[in-house]
Amino acid sequence: MRSHMQNLFMALFLLSPLAVSDVAAESLLAGEEIARRINARNEGEVVSRFITMAMTDRSGTERVRETKSLRKYFGKEKRTIIFYLSPSNIKDTAFLTYDYPEADRDDDQWLYLPAARKVRRISASDRGDYFLGTDFTYEDIRKETKVGIEDYSWKTLGEETIDGHRCFVVEEIPVNEKTAQELGYSKVQSWIDAEIWMVRQAKYWDVAGNPLKTLQVREIKLLQDIWTAHQLSVENHKTGHKTVFTFKNVTYGQSVKDEMFTEDALRRGY
Amino acid sequence: MLRSYARCGILALAGWLIAASALAESTPDETKSSQSSNHRFSAVLESEAAYGMARDRANKMEMMVEPQWEYRWGDETRITGIARLYTEGFDHLEPGRLSQGEVAPNSRRLQLGDRTDVELREFYLRTRLWGMHLTLGKQQVVWGKADGLKLLDVVNPQNFREFILDNFDDSRIPLWTFNAELPVGGGNLQVLWIPDRTYHRLPQAGGTFAFSSPLVVPQAPPGVGVNLRPLERPNNIVMDSDIGMRFSKFWHGWDLTVNYLYHFADFPVFFQSVLLAPGGATVTVNPRYERNHLIGGSFSNAFGNLTMRGEAIYNTDQFVLTMNRRDGDGVIKSGEIAYVLGLDWSGIQDTLLSVQLFQSWLLHPADGMVRDALDTTSTVLLRRHFLNETLETEVLWLQSVNQGDGLVRPKISYELRDNLKIWTGFDLFYGDRNGLFGQFDQNDRLVIGIELGL
Repeated sequence: MRSHMQNLFMALFLLSPLAVSDVAAESLLAGEEIARRINARNEGEVVSRFITMAMTDRSGTERVRETKSLRKYFGKEKRTIIFYLSPSNIKDTAFLTYDYPEADRDDDQWLYLPAARKVRRISASDRGDYFLGTDFTYEDIRKETKVGIEDYSWKTLGEETIDGHRCFVVEEIPVNEKTAQELGYSKVQSWIDAEIWMVRQAKYWDVAGNPLKTLQVREIKLLQDIWTAHQLSVENHKTGHKTVFTFKNVTYGQSVKDEMFTEDALRRGY
Repeated sequence: MLRSYARCGILALAGWLIAASALAESTPDETKSSQSSNHRFSAVLESEAAYGMARDRANKMEMMVEPQWEYRWGDETRITGIARLYTEGFDHLEPGRLSQGEVAPNSRRLQLGDRTDVELREFYLRTRLWGMHLTLGKQQVVWGKADGLKLLDVVNPQNFREFILDNFDDSRIPLWTFNAELPVGGGNLQVLWIPDRTYHRLPQAGGTFAFSSPLVVPQAPPGVGVNLRPLERPNNIVMDSDIGMRFSKFWHGWDLTVNYLYHFADFPVFFQSVLLAPGGATVTVNPRYERNHLIGGSFSNAFGNLTMRGEAIYNTDQFVLTMNRRDGDGVIKSGEIAYVLGLDWSGIQDTLLSVQLFQSWLLHPADGMVRDALDTTSTVLLRRHFLNETLETEVLWLQSVNQGDGLVRPKISYELRDNLKIWTGFDLFYGDRNGLFGQFDQNDRLVIGIELGL
């Protein structure tokens, strides 16, 4: 029995350097490789969901928007449309974006404003602007839980645990001043789940280097074999404003016609 | 008789929508906002008051209740109804009982006294059939990319009771329309048939914004009597209907449309004839709507933080008033080419700077025309949001280059709560009283308003 135990300990002892080096190798996983794994994560070819957008200001006044969102991949090109369902004063507002895989190609964006009943083309370089009063930028909305690899230089800082999940801590610095100005950030620090490759938390610094906002990704569940975040919350430390996106009735693989992702679909509404 | 029943039915529907929205207000929020329900009720209550600074008097105190009801069958079929209860306390914008001569009988408002009316604004079925998107019923169809002034956005007529100060969604007059959209060649083809013979609602004499500029209203020489004949309106529901087509396509980053509209232009043409009699001359004015072919297109694209957009049109039959006494009917008929080019710059966060240039060129000008052959108007809009878009400030400036007159509209609005918005601003006209804007130089006003979503 003893010799068996000795053999087992010996085996574990001999294996342990391999195991440690394996962990070390993973710990040292390059930031850019982590970013690639985030973007390689399956997020379904088509998804349909309702999103409740709750915005709370410093004084506690809350504004709530109910929306319907559809996203579909056309090859590597991602198209997302969001229809506002309530409240009545912004009902029928709709937003459409085409997110192209080519780094040197500007994305295309449109906004339908019911007061004018016209679709307005929006400059895609406004990506650091806040999306319709939320604390998410247009870029955040386009990327959802993915990242813009080419916009940052990526550096792995270490490992930490968030809500009991092992995460890589990665620092992202915009590749140049122009990109920093466009995004509105001088630095981002992300906590990325080492198993499912989803950002669980991120901190943002503004272009002047001051703490700007913190993103929390919660209620991550496996739906139809796809890891799905059901709550995204952002707190802006400069304004005290907070936005919580809550996802409901998330369905993957539903048949959604290509024509839903057009300027005319924005006008017709949901 | 049948027409009368139809009108009663339409107005009863409008009344029901208003009553139903009041009932919906008493139901719990969870019920109203439920996405699983086939019914959706919502309503907007808006009130706006205006104080005329030059005349030192309040010139508007309006209240509007606009309930909306929607019923859905599945994802692709829904019926939508929007009614409006409108009341204006001073009766200065549309004084007295409305003649509604420009409006087809089935689209008229039900007047409850001089100051209040009820209207069925929109009522349509939207469905998908044989690969087409059909929208059938009373609706607004909006074409074009321009802001503030209209070239392609002429499918629906407009109520000018507040000139162009009212927002277009409120002032645009919905029409009974057959609207089919179908995918063609990677784009979208829209086909319109509009049997509703309703045209621009022009303010009557005595109204705050009644037109007086010679650019739009014929002027009789001093001492000459005027005999204004009743408005001649098209009366055949088939032969006098409008038809339109629009093909839109997203092509290499460009949003492109090609448009065609065969319609009665919404402004009546004031044909004039002079009768010389021993007692003095009399001008008889015969207002009549005239046919026009509109052929045009629009584009938009974004380059960095600059968005470019534009429209261009060719009108076959434009009518312009002339002061030439030797002219037989007081109007000149000409083709017209017009375009608008707009640039939107958003290089500063939460800020939009938008400039537009409109030009209209008459192809067959004649001596004595009240307008120049080439007419130019420019607009500048500066808008900035604060506090997560709860606070919005803007200044809109419209300038007629030819007349030297214009309009400046600074405005500030604040979203107090999710469903409660307030605003205040000025509408400041300047320039010669013969100009399109200058004619209202005495109508500068301070506006305050509130909007409540129910």
